[in-house]
Amino acid sequence: MNDRSRRRSLVTGVTSAPYQLWAVLFILVPLAFVAYYAFTDNAFHFTTANIARFFTATSPVTDAGGSPVQVRTYMVIAWRSVKLAVIATAVCLLLGYPLAYIISRAPAKVQKTMMTLIMIPMWMNFLIRTYAWMTILQDTGILNNLLAALHLRRVHIIGTQTAVIIGMVYDYLPYMILPLYSIMAKMDHRLIEAARDLGCAPAGVLRRVILPLSMPGVVNGVTMVLIPSISTFYISQKLGDGMFFLLGDAIEGQYVAGNLHFAAAIAFILMVALLAAMALMRRLTGKYTYGGAAA
Amino acid sequence: MKKASKVFTVLMFAFLFAPIAILLLFSFNEARSLSVFSGFSLKWYRELFRDTETLKTVRNTLVLAVCAAGISTVMGTAAAVGIHRMRNKYLRSALDMVTNIPMIDPDIITGISMMLMFVFVSRLLGLANSLSFATLLIAHITFCLPYVILQVLPKLRQMDASLPEAAMDLGCTPWGAFWKVELPELMPAIVTGMIMAFTLSLDDFVISYFTTGTGFQTLPIRIYNMTKKTVTPDMYALATLIFFVILALLLLSNLTDREDSQRIRAARKARRAAKGRPPMSPRRQRALYTAGGALVLAALTASLIFAVTETDDKPQVLNVYNWGEYISDGSEGTMDVVAEFERWYQRQYGRPVQVNYTTFASNEDMYAKLSSGAVSYDVIIPSDYMIARMISEDMLLPLDLANIPNAQYISEDFQGLYYDPEGVYSVPYAYGIVGIIYNANVVDPADAGTWDLLWNEKYAGQILQFNNSRDAFGTAMYRAGLDVNTTDRAVWDDALDSLMEQRGVVRSYVMDEVYNMMEAGEAAVAPYYAGDYFTMLDAQAPTVDLRFYYPDPTNFYIDAMCIPACCQNKTLAETFINFMLSAGPAIANAEYTYYASPNTLVYEDPDYIDEMGPEAMEILYPGWDDFARQYNAYAYRNLDAETLDYINTLWETLKIN
Repeated sequence: MNDRSRRRSLVTGVTSAPYQLWAVLFILVPLAFVAYYAFTDNAFHFTTANIARFFTATSPVTDAGGSPVQVRTYMVIAWRSVKLAVIATAVCLLLGYPLAYIISRAPAKVQKTMMTLIMIPMWMNFLIRTYAWMTILQDTGILNNLLAALHLRRVHIIGTQTAVIIGMVYDYLPYMILPLYSIMAKMDHRLIEAARDLGCAPAGVLRRVILPLSMPGVVNGVTMVLIPSISTFYISQKLGDGMFFLLGDAIEGQYVAGNLHFAAAIAFILMVALLAAMALMRRLTGKYTYGGAAA
Repeated sequence: MKKASKVFTVLMFAFLFAPIAILLLFSFNEARSLSVFSGFSLKWYRELFRDTETLKTVRNTLVLAVCAAGISTVMGTAAAVGIHRMRNKYLRSALDMVTNIPMIDPDIITGISMMLMFVFVSRLLGLANSLSFATLLIAHITFCLPYVILQVLPKLRQMDASLPEAAMDLGCTPWGAFWKVELPELMPAIVTGMIMAFTLSLDDFVISYFTTGTGFQTLPIRIYNMTKKTVTPDMYALATLIFFVILALLLLSNLTDREDSQRIRAARKARRAAKGRPPMSPRRQRALYTAGGALVLAALTASLIFAVTETDDKPQVLNVYNWGEYISDGSEGTMDVVAEFERWYQRQYGRPVQVNYTTFASNEDMYAKLSSGAVSYDVIIPSDYMIARMISEDMLLPLDLANIPNAQYISEDFQGLYYDPEGVYSVPYAYGIVGIIYNANVVDPADAGTWDLLWNEKYAGQILQFNNSRDAFGTAMYRAGLDVNTTDRAVWDDALDSLMEQRGVVRSYVMDEVYNMMEAGEAAVAPYYAGDYFTMLDAQAPTVDLRFYYPDPTNFYIDAMCIPACCQNKTLAETFINFMLSAGPAIANAEYTYYASPNTLVYEDPDYIDEMGPEAMEILYPGWDDFARQYNAYAYRNLDAETLDYINTLWETLKIN
């Protein structure tokens, strides 16, 4: 390494110092508090009982055939949360990707306007927005009245998995679009033209040029949508008729029951699992995110 | 744009703006409802501008969001650059991982863990009242940072590393290369990150709730705490106004932009021609960014000074902590009780007093905050079982009734209640009784009268149940004549069996959604509180005919005014409690909340009786012959940790079936 680039990395290397300090003080120390609570009982003696409880607690449920079976309570809840979050993230990606691309190809002024329009709904209070969705999706709501006015069949959405996913997609879609857009806006469109000129079919252009170039945005968008949707509880309570009990509900419930230690344990396990999942995702997509755009 | 993509874009924006359109429509609603539109009115806009508490929280929220977004953008951008340059691969990926943590942690855990840490550190340093604007700001910066870093980092990775090299080859210093080459290139990502940070900060309520200090409340906290009753439509009016302000700003910036961008394009063309390569960002744009940055910094400094100086301008401060929507606040021509107290105090004692009125959403939230020891409130209004718990933990001070002469007007029925048998620690504020609300256009009145209506298969799919364990189990236990305060697990198991049996007919487990669903006729049967029935009645759709009855036995609850051990000015607190018990404010509060009052000055007042009407009086004050005995037999008591844990486990079992 030559002298100049060493000096350069010294000068710019210190720029992350405040953040490193901040991360230790306000991310890792509170995390240590979570871990401390997760591994202690009410008298603050060390225990792994909280962690073990998450994996071993069972509940009696009635299976599809109507006979009683024992299931692992939190495994069922976790699976349900992951399933809904993954579906919501996938829908966000499917909707957000083309929209971000369309916006990135629009004239500069239109781009700015559209991006602001995408952010505006986020500046209305989250609770109030979710309430508004209840008004739309209810059996007696706006959507069904509209369908009835058009002489179409009414639909029952509220309280179904679809309603919960609509709520999640609505709330987190901007967090998918923003990172995708900021990558796509800077994409070198001459590469796409070149691929076309060289006879690449549209599907091929997408798969071999656009997708690899936008991969860092995809990874970030997925991260920003998947994570909050796994631990949400408000959306599922309001739009899911209170029938979808998710990890967020479990944590909230334990807190209200005065069981902060077990709540911390659930949060701790969730965090470890998500960090592992993200490390895996980074590794799988590593050639896109670390090695430059189109390696 | 091709046609297909045009259609797609339009559909997507329709999806994004559908709820906004609903808010806009219902902000003009005559009734206090988000599901039934009963007529056009501008009154919620009037309410909004009159409501100084809400406007104060709007200001707080904006100050906080600007500070948090500004600081986290600067720090986050610097961090991203540093992380990108880092040559130690392990440190780099470690920092990458750490960055994700604030996003993963559920809000409630982040909030509580940060609160615990702040409290712990301040105890070490011997600071009192450690939760403040500063801790709130730290928390916001912390959860905003990852979003900024995750925006900027990919952009750095995408950037051509040879560009800054080239700049330095041409004689630029490393800093110069960063400012002149990299920063303009990063600008879109930085701006996006800043907008995200601003947005997140604007909307957060859980983390804010736990990290904010005495008396500093933001808009989302205020709205969240309203959900014990209903969110008032002046919030929809506020959302609508925000929307139009942003839209106006957007149009304005587009108009002024046009000339600029033409000039910029011209400059770009000229340069490209001169140098034969893609242009650097024009100077003008940089100047704009610098100006923008300076503006943000100025706003930051101003707001910080503002936040610091604002706390100590009045000699006497009274911090009141109450449920959301639980005091007459001056809307629709009612008395603004807090402001009235300030005026009355000035007249009476010739000294000013400032009341900081803040709200909570549940007894448990309030308890967590108070037991942290990092806040100081003078008057709190918790529920009975929580008062019992706080007395047993020495968290309440005995009242000096000599300073509260109006306590004599509390009905004798409220003596000898289990949570405070001697009446030493609390003065009752309001009480409620759980009843059953049903839509008489659907439900045959012959089926009404008992708890069985909630289990009646004739109305399958139209029955609502409480979405919290204690209240839901309570309905099953009252129905079967079981003791709701038992520690016998077998009894709780029986109650679970009953709820399991009910699950098939339950449409929805609800809390505050009950209003929308009952008003619109979405459901036909629900257990809820007497006072809230009248709120629903006011907003019911023309096709709905709501009725109410008390099943026997049923749940009673009392909320009472207490003075916590952290109180700074006990005499002032007692003066406030006494004021709340005097006729004017007490009647105003009872009329506003629709809950029954234990105060004889209220329920024996002819004007109040007249205002409420015979039906409401009969339901709110059914004339129990021995209130105290009934109350002591059926009210919820504080259960031990093991029992609460067991109930919660049963609740989870019910919910995963």
